[in-house]
Amino acid sequence: MAFTLRSVKVPPNSVTLEEARSRTFDFFRKACRSLPSVMEIYNLHDVATISHLRSSISSQIRKNAHITNPKVIDMLLFKGLEELNNIAEHAKQRHHIIGQYVLGSEGLVQDHDQDRKDPGASKFLKNFYTSNYF
Amino acid sequence: MASLNATSITFESSLKPSIGSTQVTGRSSRSLISFGLSSNGFPTLRSSRFRVSCSATPQTVEKVCEIVRKQLALPAETELTPESKFTALGADSLDTVEIVMGLEEEFGISVEEESSVTITTVQEAADMIEKLVQQKDKA
Repeated sequence: MAFTLRSVKVPPNSVTLEEARSRTFDFFRKACRSLPSVMEIYNLHDVATISHLRSSISSQIRKNAHITNPKVIDMLLFKGLEELNNIAEHAKQRHHIIGQYVLGSEGLVQDHDQDRKDPGASKFLKNFYTSNYF
Repeated sequence: MASLNATSITFESSLKPSIGSTQVTGRSSRSLISFGLSSNGFPTLRSSRFRVSCSATPQTVEKVCEIVRKQLALPAETELTPESKFTALGADSLDTVEIVMGLEEEFGISVEEESSVTITTVQEAADMIEKLVQQKDKA
């Protein structure tokens, strides 16, 4: 029954970068307009706000902002639209949404005890524990 | 917004005494009501509506500034006038679209595609919001 109410109606090939840019904005607008219903479906009212989800969507779009090939942009938009359809038709579950869009870079395992266990740790050590590059 | 509410209140108050006083003869009450309408109802409504639609209210501009500031993560000391362009504040095109979506959510309006392209400053955004909110209230 529920295959994707938002099937791709437009031809998937953008001619210019400008057309790809406007298609990206259309996708972003569509995603933002579906955010209230997503919050209702997965019951995210305690965990996140609409602006939080909107900024996580825009940061994921911005991660690919350096791409200049319109065909690659079309492919990314297609994947993004597929993801949006999956989320909107409740094909995912709450923990997927929380892990992928609500939590930031620290991910699912959050070690908040770091300050209590090792209060003498310097900033250098804290950065060292998180990643190799700082 | 506040001026619109005030006019609606005065309109109601001018109507109520006329309805209460004459309930016996429908004809005379209707003429009284029409008198009330022509004397204080219409002129004040029209003039106040003109006043609101020309310039956005300061609360709207304030809210727009707040949203822009939060979206672009501006430090508190950068001055944010109604005439400042979004691009001058360091926003790229995706930021502009996101600001418009934030305004849509905040004010409960929905912006057309082509009108969102023309928004470049805070004042334009506030004016468009006022227009859409009025249209929504009229409908």
